[in-house]
Amino acid sequence: MRGRLALGAVGVVVAGYGVWLLVSRSSTDQLRSVVTWLVGGVVVHDAVLAPLVLVAGWLALRPLPAWVRGPVACGALVLGTLTVLAVPVLGGWGRRGDNPTLLDRDYVAGWWVVALVVLAGVVVGCLVVRSRTTGGHHGARSGRR
Amino acid sequence: MRGVVPREAEFTSRLRSAAVAARVGSWLGVCFAIAFVTGLISHYAQVPDQPIPFPTAPSWGYRLTQGLHVATGSAAVPLLLVKLWTVYPKLFAPLPRPSRRGVLTMLERGSIGVLVASAVFQLATGLANAAQWYPWAFSFRTAHFAVAWIAIGALLVHVAVKLPVIRAAWGSDVDSVGQDRPSATRSGAVSRRTLLRGTWIAAAAAVVTTAGATVPLLRKVSVFAVRTGEGPQGVPINRTAQAAGVTADDVDRSYLLQVVGPGGTVSLTRDELAGLRQRTRDLPIACVEGWSAGATWSGVPIRDLLDLVEAPRGSDVLVVSLQRRGHYGRTVLQGNFADHPSTLLALTINGEQLSVDHGYPARIIAPNRPGVLQTKWVTRLEVMT
Repeated sequence: MRGRLALGAVGVVVAGYGVWLLVSRSSTDQLRSVVTWLVGGVVVHDAVLAPLVLVAGWLALRPLPAWVRGPVACGALVLGTLTVLAVPVLGGWGRRGDNPTLLDRDYVAGWWVVALVVLAGVVVGCLVVRSRTTGGHHGARSGRR
Repeated sequence: MRGVVPREAEFTSRLRSAAVAARVGSWLGVCFAIAFVTGLISHYAQVPDQPIPFPTAPSWGYRLTQGLHVATGSAAVPLLLVKLWTVYPKLFAPLPRPSRRGVLTMLERGSIGVLVASAVFQLATGLANAAQWYPWAFSFRTAHFAVAWIAIGALLVHVAVKLPVIRAAWGSDVDSVGQDRPSATRSGAVSRRTLLRGTWIAAAAAVVTTAGATVPLLRKVSVFAVRTGEGPQGVPINRTAQAAGVTADDVDRSYLLQVVGPGGTVSLTRDELAGLRQRTRDLPIACVEGWSAGATWSGVPIRDLLDLVEAPRGSDVLVVSLQRRGHYGRTVLQGNFADHPSTLLALTINGEQLSVDHGYPARIIAPNRPGVLQTKWVTRLEVMT
């Protein structure tokens, strides 16, 4: 318990140092922009992204047969999170006319390649699950132990 | 109809369990710790006046640490999204009654709010910065550095609060229901093992699809890398001459390098520089944004130039660029870097005369040094006393 209290106290001091750094080195306008992004990130996740995933999962996953669900859920997880990761390069807002060495790929084509690889993985995953479960009565769980 | 905001008890899936959250969270914590330490290394490397000199070896150290910084940040995106998914119901937990315990609960939930906000902020701003996209009014460097401390502090508090839960989760089977919320009684759409497997695949894929900007082997498969590693003379460019406000007039025949030291001032034309003893070195140029590329550079050892003006060993050197726009037009080359035999005022890259975007007439190249301090278009070296 004492160790945890100490760890927590160190955490408070470290975070406090961060707040001090932020406040002492930013103008009011800059600070306002930081707070907007801090709060905005939480709002975009909690009020937009998470509910969308919730609804999508409910609509798309539940009706599927059990042996398809695992691979499809994993595929959606991989493709969905990679798409979020790729937003800055997919948008290409940082491109500059004077510097062709920056963002010098066709990222939309790259996204389709990723999507196809994920799709192939899902199909293979489904076939594997199917072959394991034929003959068993307990779905994907029968192969374990 | 009850409105659109759900209650915690309405989340019934066993997937949203501490058993999953602790496992994903532990790896997320590892990623944040590595990103924090490598970020501090980069900031320290850019401090002009260093109490402990930043090491000049290994020459690929900065390349490795900053590649790790961006790789762990990229891996953290799927990890954070899955982590937040597993604990999402807690957002809708009823507020505690006012009491001593209630105050503690509110403080804890507040610390989670700070942790989530700062974690999302770090990943979002870091990814945007790597793609040189700045849709905000703050200084990226200042804010990303300050919020890193906030994120790590909030993470330490979170670990301190959750340590018993984390221990119990790692100490029991992933399918154990011992720490589940009372309402989490229905089996999920997939098993916990499947969810975790998918998460690890996503984190690995996040690294593989982006790390080609710094790992040459991955260039072909890194479809989301901010750079292919291609560029004029075989090396990408961070900032062009045009962006830095360097014009053709600046770098024509009138160009002179001034070296200023205790022994006076020496002015050298580019031809005179090319007539001095040249040295060739293979050194990477590594950017804080996580891209890097190796190249063969040749030019005049900085120490030879400092000897012309009788600079004592260990002297820091102020490096002045012709650039008119942007930061890093005046940088400090610390004594240990200035004296290092591999630190050059480079005139060529991969066997060709530097192009103007690579810093023609002359640029700094030194081992284990942030790319922003490998100053281009150098016009003056001033020994600092």
